[in-house]
Amino acid sequence: MRRRWPTSLPGQIALLVAIALFVAQAINFALLLRERRQLRLASATNPAIVRLIDASERLDAGRNLPADRPRNRVRLSRTSPIPAGRPEVRQAEEAIRSGLSDAGLRFSRVETALQPMSRDTARRRSMVARGVRRREGMQELLVAVEQPGRGWLTLSVPWVRADRGVVAQLIAQTLILYGIVLLAVFWIGHRIARPLRSLAAAARGFRPGSDAAPVREEGPEDVRSVIAAYNALGTRVTAMLDEKDRMLGAIGHDLRTPLAALRVRIESVEDEGDRARMADIIDEIARTLEDILSLARLGRSSEPPVEVDLAALVDAVVDDFRDLGADVTLDDVARLPVRLRPLLMRRAVRNLIENAVKYAGAAEVSVSGAANGGARVAVLDRGPGIPADRLDTVFDAFIRVETSRNRGTGGIGLGLALARAIVEEAGGTLTLANREGGGLAAVMLLPRGTPA
Amino acid sequence: MDMSAEQPHLLLVDDERSIREPLAQYLTKQGFRVTQVGDAEAARTRLTAYAIDLVILDVMMPGEDGLSLCRHIRATSETPVILLTAKTEETDRIVGLEMGADDYVVKPFSPRELAARIKVVLRRMAGGGARQHAPDSGSFAFAGWVLKTGERALVDREGVSVPLSTGEYNLLLALVTRPRQVLTRDQLLDLTQGREAAAFDRAIDNQVSRLRKKVEADVRNPTLIKTVWGGGYTLAAEVTRL
Repeated sequence: MRRRWPTSLPGQIALLVAIALFVAQAINFALLLRERRQLRLASATNPAIVRLIDASERLDAGRNLPADRPRNRVRLSRTSPIPAGRPEVRQAEEAIRSGLSDAGLRFSRVETALQPMSRDTARRRSMVARGVRRREGMQELLVAVEQPGRGWLTLSVPWVRADRGVVAQLIAQTLILYGIVLLAVFWIGHRIARPLRSLAAAARGFRPGSDAAPVREEGPEDVRSVIAAYNALGTRVTAMLDEKDRMLGAIGHDLRTPLAALRVRIESVEDEGDRARMADIIDEIARTLEDILSLARLGRSSEPPVEVDLAALVDAVVDDFRDLGADVTLDDVARLPVRLRPLLMRRAVRNLIENAVKYAGAAEVSVSGAANGGARVAVLDRGPGIPADRLDTVFDAFIRVETSRNRGTGGIGLGLALARAIVEEAGGTLTLANREGGGLAAVMLLPRGTPA
Repeated sequence: MDMSAEQPHLLLVDDERSIREPLAQYLTKQGFRVTQVGDAEAARTRLTAYAIDLVILDVMMPGEDGLSLCRHIRATSETPVILLTAKTEETDRIVGLEMGADDYVVKPFSPRELAARIKVVLRRMAGGGARQHAPDSGSFAFAGWVLKTGERALVDREGVSVPLSTGEYNLLLALVTRPRQVLTRDQLLDLTQGREAAAFDRAIDNQVSRLRKKVEADVRNPTLIKTVWGGGYTLAAEVTRL
């Protein structure tokens, strides 16, 4: 039901204007019609009244009725020449009644009736000459007035029946109006709607710092000021994000420096085991710091997307894990070119495998083409999995599913959150699901991208 | 006194005392002679005053930064430079290496690793003589492939990037920088372990077969990475630096 109404701005304006125009035209039409009716009535009854008065006065004076041409002739008869049951024309009757009484004529009854005009008469010819078309009906109004003691005075006058011409005229007029007004309305609506549409598109596609050109200020003043405000907003957001980047850079530097100092200092720790543990902790803090900074900077990456063999990328990451002695398996896969940012994607894959290795001690990795023409990377483990009710929250950057996965001090939340952010930035999805028989399946789906 | 003459003389440039001082202490214990300064200007005067064998340079310094000083050193001398970078963004590493640095470590770094790299660079300088470029900057083209050092990826004829693992990358880099030279397993191990500790215990043969799978048209009959009977491996292709 709702769909029947236009939803766009020009459509709605046009619809409203059309309705308003129609109502106005209808009122006009009603007024016009009334006037036409009255005019017609007057043009039929006035001559009848004049002739009736004239005839009555002649009779009063004892003269004969004038021997006019037959069509104008007033006749005198004993009884009403109008047969009972003929449709009367009430308005005409009223008009004649009031006209006669205004003139002070004595009369008792007035009767009227319509009858088809007799063929081939002079009156008919004259009406045709005046442009009255046949289908509009050429009729005569028969008028009979009874004067007490004298009898019935009767006469006939021409009667044009319908206003079909007016209706046609009105329809034509309305259509022309619609044509002109709606065209103008559509043009105005378009002029407002187009910049609004480009504004909406720009807002939807807003990527901070992407150096997108500002939206062109066009359209009416109000729309222009909205666009200007939006452009200013975009500039401010970008400036704020730049500021955030600078701040993060400063934080990173300020944290790395003492960390680096600490890393140098621990070389003087005598106990080999202690020193190694300290180094591990410092490395982990540093990695977490990198993850935080990457997560915060994502979307403003300076790395351009290129065509990359995703299979080789995953293979390279897996090989690095094997170098570290981790139990990671990968099936041999064919080349799978995908358009992405390789260093970021390496990181995403690394984080997924790292998570599996951390919680399950081993990972099974597979790469394949996806059904929709994209690519699919799955990292499976046989670890404790994630409770079903927490699968959704595991991606929130700083949430760890400690209750079930509290092995070591692994930062599952951040690592996975970064992985997902990277995958989503590449236009893909990352989903986690518990496997049958225990363990977690992290599945990454990537679009192939458009090879430029 | 004679001892100090044989000790390599390092110039350590870092504005952070908290790093500079313990690091200088550690390196001194490792048998280096260390001169430490806190800014680029002081570094310039020390460079002209002493015969410095190697400069350890912090990239992020107030005033003139490490990259600028690195460029200056490269323009005026052959003294090798190892950068201490704060950022892990790959572009910064590439920029550093393109400025002519010989190597880099990312903060927080292990002093042991730094000492090991200093030794590798000094040995390289002693053995190789004049250096043309930093070992891993820019790109190398060979047999239709391009090895991009910044991305650690091979780019094939169709422009598709084929990422390499650390082990593969180090091995291939050793090969493309010494084309048509026979490199023994020991040499390759030595050349590839200068970087990440990761590749240490990995058999070279294993990495070679992985690489062959990626670049050879027929793995059973390799034409690019050839096995030299009783010797080791060689890259049988022309290499162009891009």
